[in-house]
Amino acid sequence: MQERIGVFVCKCSTNIGNKIDVDSIVSDVSNIENVVTAKSHNVLCSNEGLEFLMNEIREGNLSRMVIAACTPKMYEQRFMNVCEASGLNPYLFQMTNIREQVAWVTPDKDLATEKAKTLCLAAINRISFQESIEKKEIEVQPDVLVIGGGVAGIEATLTLTSRGRKIILVEEDDDSGTPELKQSAQFRKVYLVEKSPCIAGFSGRFEEVYQTMECAPCMLAPELQEVLQKDNVETLTYSEVEEIVGSFGNFTVKIRRKARYVSEEACIGCNACFEPCPVEVMNQNNLGLSKRKAIYIPYAGALPNVPVIDKENCLHLNGKECNACEQACAFGAINFEDKEQIIERNVGAIILAIGSKLSDPTQYPQFGYGKFDNVLSAIQIERLNATNGPTGGKILLKNGQEPKSIAFIYCVGRKEIGYCSGICCMYMSALAQHVKEKLPDVKIYSFYTDLCLPKKEHQRIFEKVLNKGVEFIRSDGSEYVDSDGKQLIVKYKIESSKKSQLIDMVVLAPPIEPNQDIEKLAKLLEIPLDENGFFSEEHILMKPYAAPLEGVFIAGTCQGPKDIGDSVSQASAAAGKILSKLMLGEKLELEPIVAEIDEEICCGCNICIGLCPFSAINRDSERNIAIIDDTLCRGCGTCVAACPSGATKARNFTLEQISAEIREVAK
Amino acid sequence: MKKEKFTIVTFLCNWCSYEGADRAGSARLNCPANIRVIRVMCSGRVEPQFVIQAFRDGASGVLILGCHPGDCHYKKGNYKARRRIILLKKTLKQFGIEQDRVRLDWVSASEGTRFAKIANEMADTIKQLGPLSELEALN
Repeated sequence: MQERIGVFVCKCSTNIGNKIDVDSIVSDVSNIENVVTAKSHNVLCSNEGLEFLMNEIREGNLSRMVIAACTPKMYEQRFMNVCEASGLNPYLFQMTNIREQVAWVTPDKDLATEKAKTLCLAAINRISFQESIEKKEIEVQPDVLVIGGGVAGIEATLTLTSRGRKIILVEEDDDSGTPELKQSAQFRKVYLVEKSPCIAGFSGRFEEVYQTMECAPCMLAPELQEVLQKDNVETLTYSEVEEIVGSFGNFTVKIRRKARYVSEEACIGCNACFEPCPVEVMNQNNLGLSKRKAIYIPYAGALPNVPVIDKENCLHLNGKECNACEQACAFGAINFEDKEQIIERNVGAIILAIGSKLSDPTQYPQFGYGKFDNVLSAIQIERLNATNGPTGGKILLKNGQEPKSIAFIYCVGRKEIGYCSGICCMYMSALAQHVKEKLPDVKIYSFYTDLCLPKKEHQRIFEKVLNKGVEFIRSDGSEYVDSDGKQLIVKYKIESSKKSQLIDMVVLAPPIEPNQDIEKLAKLLEIPLDENGFFSEEHILMKPYAAPLEGVFIAGTCQGPKDIGDSVSQASAAAGKILSKLMLGEKLELEPIVAEIDEEICCGCNICIGLCPFSAINRDSERNIAIIDDTLCRGCGTCVAACPSGATKARNFTLEQISAEIREVAK
Repeated sequence: MKKEKFTIVTFLCNWCSYEGADRAGSARLNCPANIRVIRVMCSGRVEPQFVIQAFRDGASGVLILGCHPGDCHYKKGNYKARRRIILLKKTLKQFGIEQDRVRLDWVSASEGTRFAKIANEMADTIKQLGPLSELEALN
């Protein structure tokens, strides 16, 4: 079929019209083979201009179109829409930029005209090689996997499951044959996978949190209950993700559900099983400050309120004769035969919200942590302060007495780890405030090098603490903790003069660092970690909620240290992106400008596989060729440039198309 | 008609340098008329073959601009471009094409001034080297 090319040159009023001899271009290109129409227009992007184009395409029965106008960054999409509306495939349209890159940068009208003409000819040359591209849609799974049941995971789960989609079905009544409208709703399902036996994460352990000084368990309880009671949320506690395959829209996930030995269905949470258990071990949830039984819940009020039996320490599970808990349970909930299970689920997207941890202060031996009693990490004193903690909320020394003086040491390990955790100044201030309320006569010294108070509420909280009589001492970061056998001594320097202070208790604020599971998940998904070991973002400013893999999102402190508010915001952003991309009942539209491999030509050299920045190319070992995953390819064309056999093609940027342009512009 | 005697085929990546060139336009900065732009999605798309073809078809210089290292829209395409162009320049030398006729550089979407500066520098370089005449080796 003879091609029918239309060429339209926009004058952009005087912007192009005064700088370039548009009429001479139009008359020159109209003689080119297959160009059936060449016209100029005063303002193509105007409504009138768009209508003009639509008529030209329809009436001229154009099979291809070239527009020379402003930068395609402005109106290319608008012109593509016109093509679509006029029945011309938008990829049979090419735009060339004669305003920003010619008229506005070339003062000499002759030179500008010549350059603009060259660019038009290049576009006309190119257009003959362009191919129609159809937008591809794939079926997707709208369900989502959320890994981590902390505040970020909870928020994401609730956002994702907040609304369903109403479906109206037309059914014929069997008897009368009359159509009947039936309403139902479709809901997105979320699988919330949490490694520990309870949800709420780190935040759930705090008595009161800044900036509101609100009780965290009270603040979180309604949200946790909602998650546990929602029909379209499957909460898998005591579970870990073992395998993830697939890509955006269609992931298959294998989850290992550890044996809890207590039935979640039968247990009513009366806790009658704890008392008779003869085993006592350190309670890691209270960071070794108290003991627990072999059947336990991590802390009072933990949800779901179902105990777990610790396999390592339970006598029965280690072949000894004991079934004390089983006898105590009136509901038959104890099941020593419970086995770990592998559960498989299909999801369209994944949110990583596995949190972080406080680094172990024994790494910084100058502070005497682990060496002296009464040197505590910030989370340990939080547990002492918590009414569900080991002392019932009393701040006590190891010998059971109240401390008369406490030193708070900020920025522990910051120099070594190389970043500021950003939240310690605030939680230490909040802690100091709580301690002052419980022990009004205690003397508090806060040793700091720099203060980080970036948010609108921070300054006010800090000043409140100052007014309560907490003494802030700015040292040079060389503090170390010693002991005279009775009391602790904090030694420090101010402007190189050595000082020391006798102290009853020392509280350390160590850095926040990535969780131990982060590497395993990064490996499973083949996504990168940053230099500090947190998940890398797709773009730290523009897409801080997404991992650099389509369909995988990050929320909360696994992306970097942050407070509850920021974690909630990031989780909502991640969930929101999923809601807008994986619509219930809709297919997923794929990026049309991607690379493709000609299976007949590909020799299976695999060069392209290593080059792809998005891991979109895989090897088909049976056929010994490379295959591109359309859902992951972004169309950069790096693989195309490297293919030694020319098997790879960049849609809309093919070798033929670019060569055709080069032929004209190189002249 | 005044005709400049040489052309410089210029590959610009869609995300940074193409917009950088547009910024030069918005700021009405003069750029040499022999800079002839071809838009590609990423500097990593530029095949060595494109550069060779440009010289064969009459260009006297080839300019390739991408996002600054670390800023690539496709994460690492510009690094791939850099690897290829270093190797290509060595090869071109064997064909008697001066290395300065090919330039790979980085221009961000906001750097209109930098684009104009590089474009003018490139034109000056090629002016000094003179047009690349008949190239038996490539034809």
